[in-house]
Amino acid sequence: MRALLDSLYRLSGVLAAVGMVATLVLVASGVLARPLGIYLPGTDDYAGYAMAACGFFALAYTFKHGEHIRVSLLLERVGPRMRAALEWFSLAAGTAVAAMLAFYAVRMVLQSHEFEEISQGVDATPLWIPQLSMAFGSVVLLIALIDDLVMTTLGRAPARLATHSGEAARME
Amino acid sequence: QTTWDMPTPYPASNFHTENIQQFAKEVDAATGGKLKITVHANGSLFKANEIKRAVQSGQAQIGELIISGLANEDALYALDTVPFLATSYADSKKLWQASKDAVEARLAKNGLKVLYSVAWPPQGLYSMAELKTIGDLKGMKIRSYSPTVARMIELMGGQPVTVQAADLTQALSTGVVSANLTSSATGYDTKSWEQLSHYYDIQAWLPKNIVFVSKKAFDALDQPARDALLKAAAAAEERGWKVSEEKTAWYIDQLKANKMKVQPAPEALQAELLKVGEKMTAEWVEKAGPDGQAILDAYRKLK
Amino acid sequence: MEIMIAAVMIGLMLALLAGGVWIGLALMAIGILGMLGFTPRAPGDGMAVAIWSHGSSWTLTALPLFLWMGEILFRTKLSEDMFKGLSPWLERLPGRLLHTNIIGCTLFAAVSGSSAATCATIGKIALPELERRGYPESMALGTLAGAGTLGLLIPPSIIMIVYGVAADVSISKLFIGGVLPGILLATLFMGWVVVWSLMNPGKIPAADLKTTFVEKLAASKNLIPVILLIGGVLGSIYSGIATATEAAAIGVIGSLIIAASQRTLNRKSFFGALMGATRLYCMIALILAGSAFLTLAMGYIGLPRHLAEWIGALGLSPAMLLVALAIFYILLGCFLDGISIVVLTMAVLMPTIQSAGIDPLWFGIFVVVVVEMAQVTPPVGFNLFVLQGLTGRDMTVIARYALPYFLLMVVAVVLLYTFPGLVTWLPGHMIG
Ligand code: NA
Ligand code: NA
Repeated sequence: MRALLDSLYRLSGVLAAVGMVATLVLVASGVLARPLGIYLPGTDDYAGYAMAACGFFALAYTFKHGEHIRVSLLLERVGPRMRAALEWFSLAAGTAVAAMLAFYAVRMVLQSHEFEEISQGVDATPLWIPQLSMAFGSVVLLIALIDDLVMTTLGRAPARLATHSGEAARME
Repeated sequence: QTTWDMPTPYPASNFHTENIQQFAKEVDAATGGKLKITVHANGSLFKANEIKRAVQSGQAQIGELIISGLANEDALYALDTVPFLATSYADSKKLWQASKDAVEARLAKNGLKVLYSVAWPPQGLYSMAELKTIGDLKGMKIRSYSPTVARMIELMGGQPVTVQAADLTQALSTGVVSANLTSSATGYDTKSWEQLSHYYDIQAWLPKNIVFVSKKAFDALDQPARDALLKAAAAAEERGWKVSEEKTAWYIDQLKANKMKVQPAPEALQAELLKVGEKMTAEWVEKAGPDGQAILDAYRKLK
Repeated sequence: MEIMIAAVMIGLMLALLAGGVWIGLALMAIGILGMLGFTPRAPGDGMAVAIWSHGSSWTLTALPLFLWMGEILFRTKLSEDMFKGLSPWLERLPGRLLHTNIIGCTLFAAVSGSSAATCATIGKIALPELERRGYPESMALGTLAGAGTLGLLIPPSIIMIVYGVAADVSISKLFIGGVLPGILLATLFMGWVVVWSLMNPGKIPAADLKTTFVEKLAASKNLIPVILLIGGVLGSIYSGIATATEAAAIGVIGSLIIAASQRTLNRKSFFGALMGATRLYCMIALILAGSAFLTLAMGYIGLPRHLAEWIGALGLSPAMLLVALAIFYILLGCFLDGISIVVLTMAVLMPTIQSAGIDPLWFGIFVVVVVEMAQVTPPVGFNLFVLQGLTGRDMTVIARYALPYFLLMVVAVVLLYTFPGLVTWLPGHMIG
């Protein structure tokens, strides 16, 4: 189970990175195409979708690296029992919000499909396709939060994909 | 008391928005405060391309959009941006008469009811260079923001370049693009004279906005409120067209006052442009099919 | 009523944030609770649409690319070289290399339209080197938080475009109008670094060995890569090769070229940079998502609009009106991001501004400077988030480090009020 979940988080990280590279390629294509007299319709819309894919796919992957930020001021000052209670509270609240986000993100995709929503830009993309990244990303984020909430409730430490990498620019 | 949220795309000072504010006031007065419409202008609640969906899915009850924004959904919505088909206010009104039923029926499929429609001033061509014939447009980088505009630029021999509104000022001043197709109103709003020197009043088309309401929200009103709403809408439509036409002259004067070289398209150029228009009309009919042909015939009869 | 709504929402937000809820999720929770409590509308569908539309908006694409550029450069020798080249020149100036943060942000602000991108890119390059050399953390992070906000004031600037459209003011004039105030702010920041360093003589690490002018020049060859990069990116915008957004892509490609030429580009460093940038962007994107939905909720609740109407109806003198608006914006800026503030209030405020006889161009720069303050005020301050993401220090600590720069921005607003020519002179001469 652990291995399966971790590969899910890693997979979403890889998909996000593909989104980042695609954003670069699509934004850069404008610079190359113009002097050559080539018209590439819709690249900026596609760049927006690629960026969205990067941000949404990476949600759980980033969470599991402990890199989504929060205010730790209080957490660091209270005793161990209070701290455990706060950790549980923040995970429970986070899970509730993520559940709402995941539910409505999936519903948005279904509605876009049902309404036959098409992008109003030159790209004319059926919107449910790029929106899949938001539905997938927020569902995996929900899974990651439930994962941590269950572990914390059982009194175990939540699993992390990596400890703070030594190469990050840390001042401590 | 019922409160409606009304997202609209354009800034508070735009004449469409001012007209809507007036409309909301009249509805409030006519229903004795029973129907209040909160106008959220300038995309402050939902952005231009989300407004239809917001009303469709019940997050807002009433909204405004530019019809051609929906062109990807149905060729019908692209009709008022077919170049040189209807180039004056009178013709634009006739085109709306001819296509109104079809547009209403199409939007009714999405649970939306059209309240009224108002045209924008005609589209002109802003350029850095003087233009005499269509040959002067050859290879010129012209800003494109929709499939119709891109196709028109291609047929004129120019190179369509996608530049988003946010980048436009800089793109024009650094030469990423050197011409722009838009109305005198937008040209005034974006202070085109700071980057461009010539305005050719080619009157390519008059795009239209519609104000529409969710059928469900409309049906939930009592009969007097519905009547008051429709009456205020009819008044807003009449007022809107009048203001739009008056403003066109004012906008053009403003362009002149700011030292732009404002002129009608030179004859040779206009003749070539009309040919582009004929070709694009034919292409539109091909896409829109027999229903489109019928609307076009009805329009030509009205003319 | 409005005060009650505001108090409830602020109280809830502080409770969720203090309880350790992830910031983006906490903002969403406030939006949900606010809509459920104070509007007849259901929050869910609007939340999804607002988050999707903001997260896929083309205007934002420069941000992840600039973050990536910072991650690539962080893995090259560029920052080490840059500091080697600069330090001989800065050795006599009190505060020495701390000034590179401010100068770096000022230069980068001319490339990037966002404050978060400016703060993250320069931070990624400069922080490790400043730390290695023993500069005090409070000053290294404070200067970055403060100077990073210049991304908004020095053109290009996303917020100026938003304001220009909302208030019907020339975007070119706003851009040019931001130049002198931007330089003024950078000067104030550098002045503070000088004063602080003179007051705390022992805290700034000693200069490298004294050098002659010739040696200084020789050391300057280390600056060549960074000058080529900045020159290339800036040049691409002002020569018309690229738009301001595309410049970010040129920045990424340029940094890859620098990394390759320094032989620091390999599989490990490439993927390290890519994944690091992805996570950093995602961290910011989640908060932006929460903020986009909170803005929608605020639009429905009408809180900022009603407060702005209330201020407009007070009938204040122009000077008092500006004081009231500055306080109003600073308070809003604690909880909403800058663009949301402008979008939510401008339609209501513009008539008040005009009837008070305040120049809308000048007011635009005033708004931008006040919104810059919002970047460094807790609990919702994007530069604080970026720096917490980069360093792991808690944002409340970083906010304390940033306080002097917040106060200097207040001073700048007073100076702009006293000398409005700082804003209006340059656009008047360049565009007429
Ligand atoms: Na900038
Ligand atoms: Na803030």
